[in-house]
Amino acid sequence: MARRRAVLGLIGLLASPLLAPMLPAGPLARLLAPAPAGAQQPASQPVLRIGAIPDQKPEKLNRLYPLVASELSRQLGVKVSYVPVVDYAAAVSAFRTGNLDLVWFGGLTGVQARLQKPGARVIAQRDIDVNFHSIFIANARSGIKPISQQKELVVLKGRRFTFGSESSTSGRLMPQWFLSQAGVKLSDFKGGAPGFSGSHDTTIALVSSGAYDAGVVNEQVWRTSLHDGRASREKVIPIWKSPGYPDYHWIAQGDLDARFGKGFTSKLQPAILAWRPSDPQQKQILALFGAQQFTEADAAAYGRIEQVGRQIGKIR
Amino acid sequence: MTGGGEAPALQGAASGHNGGAGRRILLRPAVPLLVLLPSLVLLPLLGILPFLAHGGGLDLLCQFALAAVTPSLDPLVLRSALTGLATTVGMALLGWAASLVLGLLLGLASSRTLWRSCWGQLWPAGLIRRLLAIPRAIHELLWGLLLLQLVGLQPVVAVVAIAIPFGALVARVVADLLDGLDTGRLDALRLAGAPAPAALLTALGPPLLPGLLSYGGYRLECALRSATLLGVFGLGGLGTDLKLTLQSLEFHELWTGLWLLLAVMLALETGLGRLRRRWLMPRRLGLSRAGGGRAGVGVRAREMVLAMAALLPLSIGVAWALGVDPRALLAWQPLQGVGGSGWIDGGQLLALPWPALIGGTLALTLLAAVLAVGLPPLQLLVSAPWPPARLLVRLSWALARLWPPPLTALLLLLLLQPGVVTAALAMGLHNAGILGRLLAEALADGSPANEQALASGGVGPRLALLYGRYPAIARPYLAYGAYRADVLLRETVVVGMVGATGLGSQLLESLSSFAWDQLLALVAVYALLTLLGEELSDRVRRRLLQGA
Repeated sequence: MARRRAVLGLIGLLASPLLAPMLPAGPLARLLAPAPAGAQQPASQPVLRIGAIPDQKPEKLNRLYPLVASELSRQLGVKVSYVPVVDYAAAVSAFRTGNLDLVWFGGLTGVQARLQKPGARVIAQRDIDVNFHSIFIANARSGIKPISQQKELVVLKGRRFTFGSESSTSGRLMPQWFLSQAGVKLSDFKGGAPGFSGSHDTTIALVSSGAYDAGVVNEQVWRTSLHDGRASREKVIPIWKSPGYPDYHWIAQGDLDARFGKGFTSKLQPAILAWRPSDPQQKQILALFGAQQFTEADAAAYGRIEQVGRQIGKIR
Repeated sequence: MTGGGEAPALQGAASGHNGGAGRRILLRPAVPLLVLLPSLVLLPLLGILPFLAHGGGLDLLCQFALAAVTPSLDPLVLRSALTGLATTVGMALLGWAASLVLGLLLGLASSRTLWRSCWGQLWPAGLIRRLLAIPRAIHELLWGLLLLQLVGLQPVVAVVAIAIPFGALVARVVADLLDGLDTGRLDALRLAGAPAPAALLTALGPPLLPGLLSYGGYRLECALRSATLLGVFGLGGLGTDLKLTLQSLEFHELWTGLWLLLAVMLALETGLGRLRRRWLMPRRLGLSRAGGGRAGVGVRAREMVLAMAALLPLSIGVAWALGVDPRALLAWQPLQGVGGSGWIDGGQLLALPWPALIGGTLALTLLAAVLAVGLPPLQLLVSAPWPPARLLVRLSWALARLWPPPLTALLLLLLLQPGVVTAALAMGLHNAGILGRLLAEALADGSPANEQALASGGVGPRLALLYGRYPAIARPYLAYGAYRADVLLRETVVVGMVGATGLGSQLLESLSSFAWDQLLALVAVYALLTLLGEELSDRVRRRLLQGA
């Protein structure tokens, strides 16, 4: 083989040096290069690729999802790998294009993903996702005081305000909906537009520092940040807790049975639902998810998210 | 990020225009001051900035600056940054190499000289040239994002995203170079009965080579910047690490990646500069007369051929290592809803605030262009008397070039409100870094005689620089600036998010809503604007180069 490569290489060299860059596209490269690992071929041992919207610090995601991968691998007896993505929309696209098999989506991204990939299945959600909340937060020195009613959100007019990701349910979609009900338009914020920090952790850091007067984050991340000291009430205060709505959920491709064997999907769901704090590794996973356990999820429950998504223009 | 047909245009502008201002003194600023004209925009800008500043993120910005001297040396972080860097460099190399081949072939196909010699027809050349304007008008980031939607997250996407617009740019330069050559030798060979292909290769090959090599080398630098930028938007490599570490405010880890990238970028620039000088290639702001058809190509021909031949195994090895598989391009994933009834929502399309979007984009382009052109000569002038300051200015240029504009914009938001000015600052600073380097290069190539004469006559270093050096480079520099404006127009898409105005912000919003019809319309408008801008900047450049 080595000699063949050398000969082929020599032929290439002699043919024309200028052709060199084209060769990866040609038959020579096909002979020389093995199929890349990521290529979608009916491999002998299929790998379950899991992903997640990057809603928190990469460092935390990189701790949590490899744990999930190893646990699922142990439970299901297949190879499981975690594929990180750079933003929410990329997670949806990667699911649509078949680069991801099982994804931890938010409410909005989950609806987007299912609309774009018919046949995709809602697998599970956390106990806290049935009735999830957003917390509006403000910099302690900004002079913004906690409010008791939704219509008082008008205090945010003329302030520097940041959402999380553009496609975040708890960090953008539902907050924007609550703001618009209170009569606050996006152009009412200082600078003529809100910021999009990208993730909940970043929103907390930016509002704490004073880069923004106020922002909005998901309740679970907020509680965790207060608990582990990354957020301090001396710098950032909660000002309003939103009404509840359904949020995060696991979504799987519709064709998993065809690729991993009959009945795979119906084994996947009980596997996730079976995670309990009594098992050390599962306890760690549940703690990082901020949940006691996972429950079955009903696709119909996200009808409200879809409706708001359409009104705000994030779903078409 | 891109660089187009400046190589041929600037050759005509070679020698100085010292006498130019003499005739119509009343209406024109003196030539040395011409270079400083764009920097006048700094005055109103400095006036506006206090109103935009909020200073809320000063703490974070200080942390960011301090982290520069204490980058993370954690082996895990280092390994991740090095892997990312290798991916970025690999993508840049493959995209660049593919663009050269593509550009050479398409350039030949769109050359009037070639068509006339081989087939006696001219119109196909014009047609191909026009068609090529379209892939060129769309920024590599847009190609990347569109391909990402069509074929999914594959390593080949970034390579092709770079190769398409770069290839079209190289094609234009090749065609311009070819058609700008003196056809005397070609005609002689043809009259003597030589067949067209052989005559073309013999007569036009050697004089084409220096311009092509110089430009090709420059494209590699551009490709490195583009590959980094593509990573920022999720196409893999170090850019992704940079974006994620900045977004999670892990400044120490961020600087690990930045310093590594800086080292690679400076090494590449220095290496290419050495090669350019060694192989007697013309400079980009070609003021010395090294270029044209005269240069002695033969001396180093063997080296060049060897270097190009080395590209073959290198490209294959890199493609292998990165898992770049061109077959992935054939597996298209359907876009849900596209083509079905009602996928184009005409009402919503028209409801987009088009005048504001286009106006915002144009304002952003102009402001950024003036900043990018105006800053470097001023910085050089101010720092002229103190060598350490000059070094600092150079370092700031390198950092500005290195740092993808969307990341600069994110940092600026810690101090300034979102909007056109903030976005323009981010883009302007980045491009000032690119123009600054070209300016310094042009100054180094020019004759120091005037400046030395002035200096030895007792004139201060600043005035000596202003009157001794700037007159010769004024027009080519500004002409290059006009060209840069057209590149900036294409580039506005990358700071859209932060600018909160312009087509770019709408484009990213439409992308995250998966509104394919809006996306298509926005790309089309972008392409149209860029084509118009290219035409306009070409005219401005020609006028500037023709001189007074």
